[in-house]
Amino acid sequence: MFASIVTISLAAILTNNFIFSQFLGICPFLGVSNKMSTATGMSVAVIFVMTMASAICWVINEFLLIPFGVAGFMQTVAYILVIAVLVQFVEMFLKKAIPALYSAMGIFLPLITTNCAVLGVVLLNTQNSYGFLESVIDGFTGGIGFTVAIVLFASVRERLEFADYPKAFEGFAICLVTAALFALAFMGFSGMKIPV
Amino acid sequence: MNAKKQLTEGLITNNPVLVQQIGLCATMAISTSLFNGIGMGLSVLIILTCCNVVISAIRKIIPGQVRLAIFVVVIAGFVTIVDLLLQAFIPALSSALGVFIPLIVVNCIIIGRAEAFSSKEGVFLSFRDGVFQGLGYTCVLVLMCLVRELLGSGTIGGGLLNGASSFITLDGTGAGFRIIPEGFGAGALVLPFGGFLTLGCLMAVMQYALRKSNEKKARKEKEVKE
Amino acid sequence: MKKVIDFVKPAAILLLVAAVVALVLGMVDSVTRDRIAEIAEQTKTNAMQAVLPAASYEQIELGAETPADINEAYAAEGGGWVVQVTETGSQGAVTLMVGVDADLACTGISVTKSSETAGLGAIASQQSDAGEAFRSQFVGQTGTVAVTKDGGIINALTGATITSRAISTGVTSAIALCETLG
Repeated sequence: MFASIVTISLAAILTNNFIFSQFLGICPFLGVSNKMSTATGMSVAVIFVMTMASAICWVINEFLLIPFGVAGFMQTVAYILVIAVLVQFVEMFLKKAIPALYSAMGIFLPLITTNCAVLGVVLLNTQNSYGFLESVIDGFTGGIGFTVAIVLFASVRERLEFADYPKAFEGFAICLVTAALFALAFMGFSGMKIPV
Repeated sequence: MNAKKQLTEGLITNNPVLVQQIGLCATMAISTSLFNGIGMGLSVLIILTCCNVVISAIRKIIPGQVRLAIFVVVIAGFVTIVDLLLQAFIPALSSALGVFIPLIVVNCIIIGRAEAFSSKEGVFLSFRDGVFQGLGYTCVLVLMCLVRELLGSGTIGGGLLNGASSFITLDGTGAGFRIIPEGFGAGALVLPFGGFLTLGCLMAVMQYALRKSNEKKARKEKEVKE
Repeated sequence: MKKVIDFVKPAAILLLVAAVVALVLGMVDSVTRDRIAEIAEQTKTNAMQAVLPAASYEQIELGAETPADINEAYAAEGGGWVVQVTETGSQGAVTLMVGVDADLACTGISVTKSSETAGLGAIASQQSDAGEAFRSQFVGQTGTVAVTKDGGIINALTGATITSRAISTGVTSAIALCETLG
């Protein structure tokens, strides 16, 4: 049990990083990584939603979809609805309960619905037939992996502003090239695993 | 709005991937062989067109507050239909694209077009918009695949062309045409690294071309004025 | 009163849309369900035929002390076994079918499910010359199978030692299982 948890965490954060090796969540990754403060705000929101979504979707799949025999065709619809509702709910809750945190990450919350890392992690949990604890761990560490990627990238991107590159590469193009180098670096982690 | 203008917008001036810069995840993840690229492109085209038509048809009764939730449900519905049909009739494609088929639900292109276009315009215009934007997406995917496959694994049309029994195969076993001898390709290009790099360069080329054509247009206008 | 309607109407419409979608999906599913199940069955049989051709296969009940990486085992008609094992590769689980003959030698392998790196580890599951060459190395292997780096004789795929190692481990444990069966 412990071994599988460590393996899942290691994969989600380093070897199988959502952004650099699975290409999930690229849009928000490029969209909000231009400043360190927005990057951390987004990360907190993503970690939270990914963990919650993993837990809730596991419960729904196990106790609603599978018993009624509709798991094959209602999974995607149910999951995305859960995520959309969850995001809405978190937004309302934060607005009332912790206004400071809400104003810090408020604008990123609606964006999370269409973050494919969130739906991706939930679908992959089901595909790998993870149990409840494993799903939650995968969601949480997946969010951490997202954070590692986006925070590292934001710090490089702040320096990109002073770099001298061809004008045609302005905007997302140079970011993608930079991300390519990151992906190359993250490949170094591939195959890392704990001996069992 | 005429068809020609919509077509150029979809393919070039407002291309979903290279200009609007959305829907990047799948573009980079699956563009490793022509089979995947065309399969993914056409799936998105079909889903986008269907969603555009349906959303445009029911746009008058969609309440503003739950707009996004309704879009998402409609999109998820069509995505699941395509997913099931692929699993049943083109299983090779379904297993090659894997989780990226259900992930079309959160592909920003579809929800973006729903929000920006089909929830405001008529059914026919939305239909055309879906087809043209989908074509624009497919073209970029095919381009990415050609570059990455040729330079990375040295073949063209892997999975799709030159199958054992027929020229075009749908079971994913086509060998493709080998241009660069085996072992001489730049293998890194089919890795995640290559996805980022190729898309970055394509975007730069597009920005360069658009800027040049804008400059040319501006110069012409200036000449006309003088 | 107006407030209630404001709240109920959107919810009702959302529910209606969701119900229609569910209905349509149910219909599509009823058409495709059997075919999808059939294809899954077919793929499995094909993989078993590829590693150890036989007229029929009979599933073997596995004991509680069976190693965790063994999923299923089948006795082939006319001797030998086909074992399905799952190992951890570089990007996640690698599932393979291993054919083992009555003399406990591997008769062939087929990778049925993997998410290894495209262009490197993924070659192990591809129908290409390189993939074929890699897989054919396992034919005739007995006892402990290992890649050259670990002192064995299997040439690992370029840049995919971890995938190759995972597959070697899978073959080894399949052979070990058949030893207890035979």
